[in-house]
Amino acid sequence: MQVYKALFKVIEKNLPQIIIYLIVFIGVAVGLSNAGGNPADMNFTATKVSIAFINYDKSALAEGLENYLSKNTNMIDIPDDNEKLQDALFFREIEYIIRVPKGFGENLMMGKAVELEKTAIPGSVSEVYLDNIINKYINTANIYISNMEGLSDKQLADFVEKDLEQKAEVRLNRKIEEVSRSQKVGIHFNYMAYSLFAVLILGVSTVMLVFQDKDLKNRNLCSPMTIRSMNTQLILGNLTYAVLAWLIMTLPGFFMFGSFMLTAKGMLFLLNSLIFSLTALSISFLVSILVKGPGAVSAAANVISLGTSFISGSMVPQELLGNTVLTIGSFTPNYWYVKSNNAIAGMADVTLKNIMPIFYNMLIVIGFAIASLAIALVVSKQKRIG
Amino acid sequence: MIIKVNNLVKRYDELIALDHFNLEVREGEIFGLLGPNGSGKTTAINCILSLLKYDKGTIEIYGRPMAPDAYDIKRNIGIIMQNVAVFDELTVYENIDYFCGMYIFDKQRRRELVEEAIEFVELDSFRKFLPKKLSGGLLRRLNIACGIAHRPKLIILDEPTVAVDPQSRRKILEGIRKLNEEGATIVYTSHYMEEVEEICTRIAIMDKGKVIASGTKDELKGMINSGEKLTVEILEFNPNILEGVGSLPSIVSVDYNENNNMLVAKSRRGKNNLSALLEYLRNNQINVGRIYSEPPTLNDVFLEITGKELRDHV
Repeated sequence: MQVYKALFKVIEKNLPQIIIYLIVFIGVAVGLSNAGGNPADMNFTATKVSIAFINYDKSALAEGLENYLSKNTNMIDIPDDNEKLQDALFFREIEYIIRVPKGFGENLMMGKAVELEKTAIPGSVSEVYLDNIINKYINTANIYISNMEGLSDKQLADFVEKDLEQKAEVRLNRKIEEVSRSQKVGIHFNYMAYSLFAVLILGVSTVMLVFQDKDLKNRNLCSPMTIRSMNTQLILGNLTYAVLAWLIMTLPGFFMFGSFMLTAKGMLFLLNSLIFSLTALSISFLVSILVKGPGAVSAAANVISLGTSFISGSMVPQELLGNTVLTIGSFTPNYWYVKSNNAIAGMADVTLKNIMPIFYNMLIVIGFAIASLAIALVVSKQKRIG
Repeated sequence: MIIKVNNLVKRYDELIALDHFNLEVREGEIFGLLGPNGSGKTTAINCILSLLKYDKGTIEIYGRPMAPDAYDIKRNIGIIMQNVAVFDELTVYENIDYFCGMYIFDKQRRRELVEEAIEFVELDSFRKFLPKKLSGGLLRRLNIACGIAHRPKLIILDEPTVAVDPQSRRKILEGIRKLNEEGATIVYTSHYMEEVEEICTRIAIMDKGKVIASGTKDELKGMINSGEKLTVEILEFNPNILEGVGSLPSIVSVDYNENNNMLVAKSRRGKNNLSALLEYLRNNQINVGRIYSEPPTLNDVFLEITGKELRDHV
């Protein structure tokens, strides 16, 4: 395994440059994942709107309404001065003014239509919300009046108050939390495309340039080691390097997202990135055959990794890219890799129906690997014959 | 016969790099392949090693046809190419170990051989150095160590002393002799005739892809009409001297250098050439200073066969 061992010694000498890419990746990946929005809020708290309540009716029902609203809103004490109330509304000290006219309770008890005078910010959510709360109180009272005769307004107010104290428990679906986390993992894995590409092109091309050096190659060819053995060791070495690079780059994911990485979706992310790594390896092999020197390797690593990442949605979400850019991007494996990541991130449930399109995308990425390898072998043979 | 090459032809489009090239190398000899740059020495070596395809001819090593997949033959060959072929990323020790490991799989044995090679090229103090930290001479010695560490029976050295300082050159030549004494057959290509003349037991002179002459030093020199070169210091020179010396039957050509007052005469192959010249000078009462007599060189052989100086091409 002389060639295999020498390959890693060559990589070892170029390690500082590769480590820079890894550090940048880990730094940016952590930053991007945390910038992807706060985790979904899993607690429910009803909002309270600030209102002014002006009561001209001293009935038990009017007091009951005031009592009910005080529990569901923030009541601000403002005198019944039109100018002061308008100012408070304008400066959003309050969002709703309600005036209970004299005779409100009496009319309600008699089954007549009651009218409350309200002033609100037109079209605001708080207006709709307050309308609903007040209607709820009046409608509940009306139900008792229609069905129970001989109730006093005090009794009615007590019944309504008791009924409205019943609260519904609000629980948010866990799927929302999961999807939010998946999206963060998706961002992390999307960005990985850039770093993987750069690290693989840099490593593989550097190694291949060394072994393709004419004098070294001739010396190797004069040895009794078969060409098949030499090539097998080179392929094995590059494959080991690619898998190692993939493992190192997926590790931050385990630290950041913990047990999520062991779920079905986490595994899909890992599988997708592993397939992409092998494709990037294949493309790196092609690049190594085409580039002429160490300077060109560095340039190729930057141009290819950055270029493909920008046009395929690794860095800028695909939703924000134009159709033309996406069409061009679809000729790169990154596009299909990112598309798969986005699909995995957006999946509510892992079902066969959901993952089939992802598998198709993975097949396309594998297609890129096979095509690149085929071109590399043809070019390599042409060069050898030449 | 260790190497036998028959009528080898190698073309690069219109250029004929090897033109019915023939070669025979016997076991235990240091065989020199001498020729000016571009004469086809490296092409011939590359064809012999199956690094280059050729258009016509046969190559046999150890009596078997040489081919890219003749791994049993390759196992016994060590090569030291014109350009230094080592890994810049590996230390001196790692480089020798890498190339030795291509031939020797037993780790213990390999370790011993690597140590011996390091000792042989005197690179012990530099074993942990990267090649870029070595001088040109040390780098050449590393190149040699990588080629001989596995103790091959046949060692092919293609211009191993190019751009090497005299001290390192001396060590390299001594090393080659030592390897030969230890039993290795050596094929040594060079355009430095002094080196070839110094260490090679048999020599083939190449020009334009052909072997134009081959044999031992003496055999080669015996092929030409020129004898020794006679150099005489004449302090009081007149042109009649040139005419007179030139008319001597044993002299082929004569010239006088006014800068160092030296008369240089090339004699015909034969005996008593110097006596004849001195007798002429004495008879004509010409005072002489220093006198040198140098036997013919391989350059003279090359000059007489091709009509041009071997040095002109260097």
